[in-house]
Order: sequence, then structure tokens, then C-alpha cells
Amino acid sequence: MDIISSLSILALAGLIHASFQLSVSVLSLVNGHALGSKHSQERVLRLSTSFVVGATVMTLLLLSTLSLILLNIFVYEIPAIAWSAVSGLMFSVGVAIWIFYYRRSEGTSTWIPRPVAAYLTDRTKSTKSGVEAFALGMVSILGELIFIIAPLLAASMVIINMPASWQLAGIAIYTIFSILSLVIVWVSIGSGHKVSKIQKWREENKYFLQFIAGGGLIVMCFYLYTYEVLSNVVIIGGY
Amino acid sequence: MGLTVDIVKNNRSKGHEQFSRDKLHASIVAACLSVRTPVGQAESIAHAVSGAVIDWLENKTEVTSQDLREVASKHLESHHPEAAYIYRQYRITI
Repeated sequence: MDIISSLSILALAGLIHASFQLSVSVLSLVNGHALGSKHSQERVLRLSTSFVVGATVMTLLLLSTLSLILLNIFVYEIPAIAWSAVSGLMFSVGVAIWIFYYRRSEGTSTWIPRPVAAYLTDRTKSTKSGVEAFALGMVSILGELIFIIAPLLAASMVIINMPASWQLAGIAIYTIFSILSLVIVWVSIGSGHKVSKIQKWREENKYFLQFIAGGGLIVMCFYLYTYEVLSNVVIIGGY
Repeated sequence: MGLTVDIVKNNRSKGHEQFSRDKLHASIVAACLSVRTPVGQAESIAHAVSGAVIDWLENKTEVTSQDLREVASKHLESHHPEAAYIYRQYRITI
């Protein structure tokens, strides 16, 4: 795969990651509580910044760790079976997102078990310092690992397939695209927009976001399967 | 004489607590402030909504926290629809 294609795949994987909404929900609640507690705009912005930095660091750590693990497993090259397995995982996760990512009820409640959601909601209320917001940002990424693992694994495999000099750029591209949704909320709140407007938009468009996230994973699954598995079979078959 | 109503929290899984006007007032103020309402306006809206909720609680000995939230958001809706929206969304955002 050439560099441009690899970077495009990483950008797509990052965008799919960005379409998962747990971190955005938690960030909206943190902002709502901070504003509701009569904190200054500066303090609200500091909490949101810490949250976004926490989510970014966790994404970087996860992607780097996965890439390192895969690099140690596939020392020479990534076998077709591994690409097939990751494609299968992406397809399954894509279908799972279509079926049950959002609950069929009012609001933007996701599949997350209700006691966990209640715990996270309560944590957003108790978040008063930048360190707590940073940790909450990290936890919000871990909380969706069951879905995020698919684009993360695919991105890691694409990254370790790139020349060493491009691997850091690959990690950076994925991370930047994956936090885009958080950055949009961060900028909106920072520029004086209301949390209610953001939440309303998210509620009205939740099924579209769900469709995009699932559809994006399935499209990426077919692309990687065709490029890394089928094309090799055809090349080997045709010498 | 003060109002003594038991609030059943989260389908009894979190137990009971006594109704507190201050707690309700604070939650309404927080909802208003979170949509950038000026403090004075938030306080007066919270005062009006708390009064309406207390009227509703008269002659009741036990209500669920969800009922309380629904009634409060219904009254808040007429004063500040955006704050009411955020108030309703509290437990259904994540």
C-alpha cells in the first residue's frame, strides 16, 4: 500500500473513531456541570482542555501499544490471515454498531450498561480539577474500547506496514482525526455556544452518526480485505 | 410546617431521601446556568419552579426521583425551554 493510501485509511479509521459518542457525551456533561456550578469561562475551558488532552493521550497510548505488540508478532510481514481476521472484526463491529449502538429511547444513551452510565454521569458532576478531567478523558476512551478496538487494530496494522519514517506521522494522523469531534465541542463551548444546542444536534442526528460509524467500518473492512487479501491471492494465482 | 416527602431514588436501588427544596432549587439553577442564563434570572426561575413542584408535592408522602424530575422539567419548560431540555437530558446523555 502506498503512503497516500495508508494515510487516507488512517484518516478514515480516525474519523470512524471520532464518530463514537461516549467521549463527546461525557465532555458535554463536564461542560454543562462546570457552567452550572458558576465556574468562570476560563475554568470551564481548562476542564474541557484537560479532558480533550486526556482522551488524546489515551488514544495515542492505545495506538502505540497496539502497533508495538503487532510489530513484535509480525516481524517480517503481516500474513493474509491477520488481515482477514481484522476485516472480520471490523465487519462484525460495524454490524453491531448498526444494531445496538444507540438505545431506542429519548436522549443520546448508548449501549453502555446503565450502572456504568450512571457512574460516569456522577463522575462528570464531581469533576472539579484539571487532573480529574484529564483522567475522565482517558477513561471515556477506555469505556468504548469494545468498539474502538476495530479501527485501532486496522490502523495499527496499516501503521506497521508503513516505512519507519512515516509511522509517527501515521500515528499523528489517526489521533488528530479521532479527536476531531471532541475538538469541535471544545471549540464550540470555548466560543460561547450553549451545551443544549450541541446536545440537541447530537440527539437529532444520532441515527445518522450511528449509520456513518457502522458503514465506515464496513467500507474499510471491504477495502482492506480486497487490497491486502484478495489482490495477493490474485497476484499469486496469476504469478 | 415543612414538607416531609420521601423521594425514592432510582427504582429503590439507591434507597430513599427526604425532599429538599434547596437541592431542587440548586439543580434548576445549575440547568439554567449551563445554558448561559444570567444568575439572577436563573435564581428567579428556580424559585418559581420549586414553588410549583412543592404545590404538586402537597398531600403526597412518597414520590420517585424520576417523577420529581419530570414535574420540575414540565414547569421549567414554560420558563426556559432550553434549560428544561438540559434538565431532562441529565440521565440520558450517556
